[in-house]
Amino acid sequence: MSEWTEQTNGSTSDLDQEIGRPSMVLDVVVRAEFHALLVASLWLLFVGHNLPGGGFVGGLVVVAAFGLRLAAGGSAELLKSLRIRSEVVLSLGLLVATGTALLGLVNDGTLLQSRELHVTLPWLGEIATSSAFFFDLGVYLVVVGSFHWLLEVFSEPESEGDFE
Amino acid sequence: MTTLVALVVAMLYGIGVYMILQRSLIRIVLGLSLLSHGANLLLLTSGGSAGVAAFIGRFTGDDKVVDPVPQAFVLTAIVISFAMTAFCLALAYRSWRLTGNDDVAQDEEDVRLAEMIATRNGKP
Amino acid sequence: MIFAVVAVAILGIGNRWGSRVFLVASVGPLAALVWAVSAASRVGNGDLPTESWTWVSSLGLIIDFRADWFSILMALLISVVGIGVFLYAVSYFENSRDVARIASALVMFAGAMFGLVISDNLLLLFVFWELTSLLSYVLIGSNEEKPGARVAALHALLVTGSGGLAMLAGFILIGESADTYSLSAIVHNPPSGMVVNVAVLLVALGAFTKSAQVPFHGWLPRAMEAPTPVSAYLHSATMVKAGVFLVARFAEPFSDTTPFGPVVVVVGCASMILGGWRALRQHDLKLLLAFGTISQLGLMMVLFGSGKEKLAIAGCVLLIAHAAYKSSLFLVVGIIDHQTHTRDIRRLGMLGRKWPVVAGVAVAAAASMAGVPPFLGFLSKELAFYGFLDWSEPSGLIVLCVVAVASAFTVAYSARFVWGAFFSVRSGRAVLDPPVSTPSPNAWFALSPLVLASLGLVLGVLPLLLESLVSGSVKSLGFEVPTIHLALWGGFNAALALSALVLVAGAWMFVGRRAIERIQARFEGVPSSVGVYDATVRGVLALSGRVTAITQSGSLRVYVAVLVLTMVALPSIPLAMNGWPGSWPSLVDSPIQAVIGIIMITAAAAAAVFHRRFASVIALSVVGYGMAALFVVQGAPDLALTQVLVETLGTVAFVLVIRHLPEKFVVAKSRGNAAAIAVSVAVAVFVFWFALSARTVSETAGPEAVVATQVESTESERGPAVEERTVSEEYLERSKPEAHGSNVVNVILVDFRGLDTLGEITVLFVAAIGIVGLIRFGARRSKDRTEVDQEVVDS
Repeated sequence: MSEWTEQTNGSTSDLDQEIGRPSMVLDVVVRAEFHALLVASLWLLFVGHNLPGGGFVGGLVVVAAFGLRLAAGGSAELLKSLRIRSEVVLSLGLLVATGTALLGLVNDGTLLQSRELHVTLPWLGEIATSSAFFFDLGVYLVVVGSFHWLLEVFSEPESEGDFE
Repeated sequence: MTTLVALVVAMLYGIGVYMILQRSLIRIVLGLSLLSHGANLLLLTSGGSAGVAAFIGRFTGDDKVVDPVPQAFVLTAIVISFAMTAFCLALAYRSWRLTGNDDVAQDEEDVRLAEMIATRNGKP
Repeated sequence: MIFAVVAVAILGIGNRWGSRVFLVASVGPLAALVWAVSAASRVGNGDLPTESWTWVSSLGLIIDFRADWFSILMALLISVVGIGVFLYAVSYFENSRDVARIASALVMFAGAMFGLVISDNLLLLFVFWELTSLLSYVLIGSNEEKPGARVAALHALLVTGSGGLAMLAGFILIGESADTYSLSAIVHNPPSGMVVNVAVLLVALGAFTKSAQVPFHGWLPRAMEAPTPVSAYLHSATMVKAGVFLVARFAEPFSDTTPFGPVVVVVGCASMILGGWRALRQHDLKLLLAFGTISQLGLMMVLFGSGKEKLAIAGCVLLIAHAAYKSSLFLVVGIIDHQTHTRDIRRLGMLGRKWPVVAGVAVAAAASMAGVPPFLGFLSKELAFYGFLDWSEPSGLIVLCVVAVASAFTVAYSARFVWGAFFSVRSGRAVLDPPVSTPSPNAWFALSPLVLASLGLVLGVLPLLLESLVSGSVKSLGFEVPTIHLALWGGFNAALALSALVLVAGAWMFVGRRAIERIQARFEGVPSSVGVYDATVRGVLALSGRVTAITQSGSLRVYVAVLVLTMVALPSIPLAMNGWPGSWPSLVDSPIQAVIGIIMITAAAAAAVFHRRFASVIALSVVGYGMAALFVVQGAPDLALTQVLVETLGTVAFVLVIRHLPEKFVVAKSRGNAAAIAVSVAVAVFVFWFALSARTVSETAGPEAVVATQVESTESERGPAVEERTVSEEYLERSKPEAHGSNVVNVILVDFRGLDTLGEITVLFVAAIGIVGLIRFGARRSKDRTEVDQEVVDS
């Protein structure tokens, strides 16, 4: 709790001032929910090929979780929610997606050609999936990275700005 | 497509256009959002009326399956229109930071040119 | 190829060598000369050297070179005159800046010209053609500090460039109707028909602009702003001959079936008379020569355009003779200009006594131009008269008269040139009285004109040397001719009598030049080609200004309204033609749809009406959640999920931005609001109609409505009628076995249409960068990012 106070005082964000000191209930709920949402998003990503879900939806769920953190704790809290810089996530996602697309080109001579993969995962056992999963993973990362970045920028405290 | 959905689409378009024709940038952005909603709905429902979602193994021969192609298009369109909306918002924000309002200004170059031509024609 | 290398090399050497780079530059034409001679020997042995690479095969653009005698003739002109001009330029540009640029442009020009005459593909020919236009722009405007030079360069570029475009259109029409773009194939087997008639006229238009024929001749006198070596090379010997070259190529195959021949002859006659007439009143030596060139080019047009073999022979001889005498005359003017700093014959004179060699060169060249025996010019005139006398139709007689009159003009202005520059005593005082230092030109300076002028004499006396070249050229133009014997002395006949008559008449006109000048003074008010061009340019600029003032009101609202109305108006036409869809669809799919729909319409209207920004945004998000609900009803769970999440985030983004802005919108002024409402209503009505029509298409679809078709059959029902499957059906079928997924929408996104998705995430990427830039750039950050990172790591 003391740690929390310190941080809000440290931030000069007017958004934080607007929100004021968050209620402890919200704080706790958000912290609990955050990780649940992360798990849920991963689940959506994995089953996306066969059930509702996929890279977009999964990514958006994560971003919604970020949004909650933002609402609960302001911009500083938002920054804490992703430990890697969002630009990096964004670029990595684009890289993965493009890489998968090009891999199809190398393997079969066709862009984005998918192939069946058999992967053994802990707990879940062997699952049959498709190399398109990695493409979807790239989409997921791009969505997470870009939306996080946008939230970050939009929630930044207004600078004392000399725009020129 | 039902009559009601067609009406909803038409209203979204109409109100969207009305808002785009306003001067405030924020309203224009709102109008763009409404327009893209209308377009998405039109695209989706022109694929046929409601039915069972297109999951292999989830429908039988008698079920009416929804066309998956418009859905894929619309999914893409939703994300892209969000990106566009966010971009316009950023534009509105910057415009406000620079000029102190979020109104769309007249294009000064064009206005000046029109005046120049007018004065030249005015002279005998 | 060599030209390009030399041009680059010259740019590399730059100005360090001064005007001596022209020595390097002459390597280009020298190589062309070597090539031409070697090609000549091969052609003499009966085989045609050809080279061919495919460039853009789908357009029929093949780099196709082919040498026949006529190409070799042109190549020889280009290379011989080119060497002469380059050697001369060493002295001319002695103290000039920026020599390297001119030199390299000149070499590239020579290369382009060379390519033009040996290319065997119409499109390739066009490429070289426009290359020469562009390079001539650079060369005319090479003195960029002189406004006159810039205007002249632009004039030349606009006229020859647009002529070139007309020519391209003609080439394409011809190429398409002949099914080949090979020049030799077309000439061998010319197409015919109405389209071809139009096409050849367009080609003729291109040729007229390039060869400065009436009424496009205005650019050539203006182009005299160029340095004299450039004028000598481009505007007498080579570039303007490109039009003649083209006419010569097209004359024989198209003169019988199309109006090509008559048009060329008429325009040529007009240019001859007008050029000669205007040349008589010029005081600037260069302008005098320029109008003379127009006249001579007109004569060449007539000779080649007539499509008669004897006249073509005369044309070939005239090509050679003209290149020799006109370039040497230009070079002489260059010497005069360089030494005395004037070209005005009212201030010149008496130079003959000081510079006997130069005067001799000028006299020889002018005599050749006037057609005085024994020069080559005389031979060409003689051959021309001989050919015209052979022309049996009455029109031939008219043309003959025109040519005779124009030739008399030529004699008169030739005499005027020589007299005015070198011998006129009375006006000569202007130069001599104020003792302007007029240093004599050195031997090197005078060498090139001397050689070029003496070519006219040598070839005139010994026309035997030209026999095989000329007869080969005429043959390669498609004429059937027996071996030609060229001889200076053809015996006493009508042609000789005509030549004599022309000389006498020209001399009489020269003597009576005062009277002629008085007559000419009366025609001052007649609109000239330059005036017409200037008026056209002014008119276009004014028109574009006015159009801009009308179409660009500067108001975004007006632009958007116009766009939207166009979007409504254009598709309304086919919609109205199809008529009313006929039946109304069912009102709703389910009761819940009705509830959602009504909520959405209300919320959308509220978003428009509210004055508080925040309320509007909330209303918008209600619409968005309504969309998600509709998606669920429609059977699109992926969409619904995405829509809910995007809407949430969008609302967050809106709120984050508008917290900075004033609470309320500025109340819109009533002006224009009614118009906005009217436009919106029109859009709404149109979209409603459109949506209903789209419904009828998709639900009564045949196989042609591929994408929007309802998928009603499933795998089990699908019979052998595979070819009628829609895209959607195919995706449904292939999703599991080929892409290993059962969520068809997701499979489409990441597999079947994965490239779309790749594009989409790229859009996200770019938009994110743009937004960050818009918001962060230029703003001082209150808290540095790295500090926050540090905190994150610490915690």
